[in-house]
Amino acid sequence: MSGESVSTGRKRPRRSGRFLPYILLSPLVLFIGALALYPTIVTTVQAFFTVNPLDPPTRFAGLANFRALWHNPFVRESAANTVLYIIVGVGLSTLFGLGMALVLQRRSHWRGVILALIVLPWALPAVVEAVIWGWIYDPTFGVLNSVLKSLGIINGYHVWIGIGRVVSIVLIELVQVWQITPLAALLILAALQSIPQELYEAARVDGAGRWEMFRRITLPLVRPGLAVAMVESLILSLNVFDQVYVLNGFAPGGASIMLQTYQISFNNLNFGQGYALSLLATFATMLLSLLILAVVYRRVEF
Amino acid sequence: MGRRRGLQRVARVVLIAVILVWSTFPIYWALNTSFTTLSGAQSVPAHFVPSPFTAHNYRTLLNTSAGGVGNQFWRSFLNSTIESGLATVLTVAIALFAAYAFARLEFRGKRVILVVVLATLLLPVYATLIPLYRIMSNVHLVNTYLGIVLVYTSGFLPLAIWIMYNYFASVPRELEEAAFVDGATPVIALWRVMIPVSLPGIAATAIIVFLMGWAQFIFPLVLSSDLTTQPVTVIVAALNGQRIVPFTLLNAIGVLAAALPAVIALVLNRYIVQGVMAGSIK
Repeated sequence: MSGESVSTGRKRPRRSGRFLPYILLSPLVLFIGALALYPTIVTTVQAFFTVNPLDPPTRFAGLANFRALWHNPFVRESAANTVLYIIVGVGLSTLFGLGMALVLQRRSHWRGVILALIVLPWALPAVVEAVIWGWIYDPTFGVLNSVLKSLGIINGYHVWIGIGRVVSIVLIELVQVWQITPLAALLILAALQSIPQELYEAARVDGAGRWEMFRRITLPLVRPGLAVAMVESLILSLNVFDQVYVLNGFAPGGASIMLQTYQISFNNLNFGQGYALSLLATFATMLLSLLILAVVYRRVEF
Repeated sequence: MGRRRGLQRVARVVLIAVILVWSTFPIYWALNTSFTTLSGAQSVPAHFVPSPFTAHNYRTLLNTSAGGVGNQFWRSFLNSTIESGLATVLTVAIALFAAYAFARLEFRGKRVILVVVLATLLLPVYATLIPLYRIMSNVHLVNTYLGIVLVYTSGFLPLAIWIMYNYFASVPRELEEAAFVDGATPVIALWRVMIPVSLPGIAATAIIVFLMGWAQFIFPLVLSSDLTTQPVTVIVAALNGQRIVPFTLLNAIGVLAAALPAVIALVLNRYIVQGVMAGSIK
């Protein structure tokens, strides 16, 4: 009797579930289809069209949008800027994230509190953070100038953002690094905690030092976490917009590709070129993500 | 050996201190600036505690007469709350059913749908920004709560599915078997067994989605044209760009705009850390 009811019980979800799964999934499919996949297709197709409310109708343009972008010096400059944003963003957030994760790896009484404070920058809106950092970087009253001068590192107050291109970009990206490092730290920490302790104990018995254990055990085994963290940072820094918009406006010295896309599309209303630039940026995102995965990711089994 | 241990301990404490200063100093600095006068904030070298101390900037924001900064701020605060709140409810509701189907039911096309949904996690903002604006413009949903909530929800769903799917998949099947023996349908099993057991995972998803909603900037910048729907991020950026509002007041506005996510992140930190780490590595 009980055996019978168990067997029908097992079958039940499958039998009543002929249409049920599709009913449960329909809102999701509708949302993703209409507001993620369809827009992506529109972007891909209309990149090859002239789409401009000031220059109707919408018509096929071949590669004209891409050619126009190629010859636009502001687009080229923003592409170069974005490469720098990515290098600084991925490099620093991975380095800082790994450092934080290593320090937090050891469980202690205070870890919960420390974690809560570290996660804080990740939880706040980037726009607000950029405004706060803008005040820190302020040329006349900023605390950065004040501290550096007190320490004797600089002689007089500096204008930090808007003068030198590299310095501007590094400092703007530092604001994003501040925000995204906690995410990298958590992802790497999760990978660190999945490494079996026995490996370290065995290495210690064999007389391995701290550095050797880090190089031979930690670093290889943390690679999946590093890879995910780096891809996250890549996507975020390739998309950098809020911090640039607040700290540098549309000044070309710091403009990112995302800012350029916004300007072409919503200030100039040249949607066709906006689509084309978006398509290129989407491809760049995918290619670079795959590159990071190919170089950094290794399947780890214990 | 003993001395080396002690040295390592000191190094660790110093490192933790550096990490904490890095993580919290800018926030402290905004608080410090917001609680002083303009001349106090403009002292050279800078004061590291508010002097003179005043709550004047916050009092200014209590004046909500039409057209004033206080009015703009609180209206946008309300907009942020409504938009992020509704998007969170909608996202979690849709993701609950879908993640359950993915985790527990067998059906044709399951893998394909799951892979396609998760692949949209990798779509950058670029891919959808312009078309979403044009779609919303065509259906007259620009500058409406509904339009913004729909866009947010479509953007947050993939991550919500990923976190909840992993959570559901980690729940032992035996828990529901008992309900099935009693003749429950999958929907009842979801309601009576899965949801109560998965509350921490659902909370983690809801918190992360709400924080993402509160932080949105480029989509509302494009989709909202005035104070009827502009969220607090758009207003903060606009006030910052006008260079009329004094920096002390701007920092007070920033502190208040960040207060809700900050409190959520501090109080409910456990869920955020779990949520991020649960969905991280597979």
